[in-house]
Amino acid sequence: MKIMNINVKTVGDITVVELIGEVDANTAPEVQQQVLPLALPQSKILLNMSEVPYMSSAGLRMLLSLYRQASAKDGQLVLVGLAQEIYRTMSVTGFLNFFTTCETQEIGLELLR
Amino acid sequence: MTRLTVAGTLEALEAIARYIKAVADRAGLDRQTAYNLRLAVDEVTTNIILHGYQEAGIEGQLHLCACIEADYLTISVEDTGMAYNPQHSQAKALQAVQQPPELRSIGGLGIFLAIASVDRFTYERVNGFNRTILSVNIASSP
Repeated sequence: MKIMNINVKTVGDITVVELIGEVDANTAPEVQQQVLPLALPQSKILLNMSEVPYMSSAGLRMLLSLYRQASAKDGQLVLVGLAQEIYRTMSVTGFLNFFTTCETQEIGLELLR
Repeated sequence: MTRLTVAGTLEALEAIARYIKAVADRAGLDRQTAYNLRLAVDEVTTNIILHGYQEAGIEGQLHLCACIEADYLTISVEDTGMAYNPQHSQAKALQAVQQPPELRSIGGLGIFLAIASVDRFTYERVNGFNRTILSVNIASSP
């Protein structure tokens, strides 16, 4: 069975979520279940995906749900450290049109401050 | 030509991914092409498992077969689930990926991605089987 690790910590008023592992139809539901409740009113969420080597459309659906939840609650969301291949997937599907992405956690934290 | 037969359940996705990685290695695909092929096969097989089998209340297997022919690495996927033509949903998906997030439907992205990630994509229904064939050009790999 595939393992996905999800670490959550706070840096100031920012919730930093670190995903470690592949996001596919097996693991995306678990990520969604754990991460979606973090989108509280006016929350600032940094999703660090530096340790995600693979993501299928199941991950895109999870990200879309998180984006909507964050937007509905007037929150902010930044994706950090997308692998080149995942970046391409998000480009092809138009996700980069509305997601804020950056390369490092430091830049991500700066964007949310 | 190598084959893989697995049960039509989500647990099989890991074995399918390993199989595609091994085949891509043997064919000498570059990193991006190998990733794209894995993504396309993952999306197709996930779709078959969730919609062709589970939703339809049908149990069955997935038969994968890889072969190299005339500069193309071709993966064929056969299943006995509900008949479903992935190409029919492509026009709708093409429109959907241009939508802003609030108007997007939550599904349909997988097959769109699969078709966008390979050089050739065909589907046929033969004698109660669905056969999806995906090919990537080996020669385009550096």
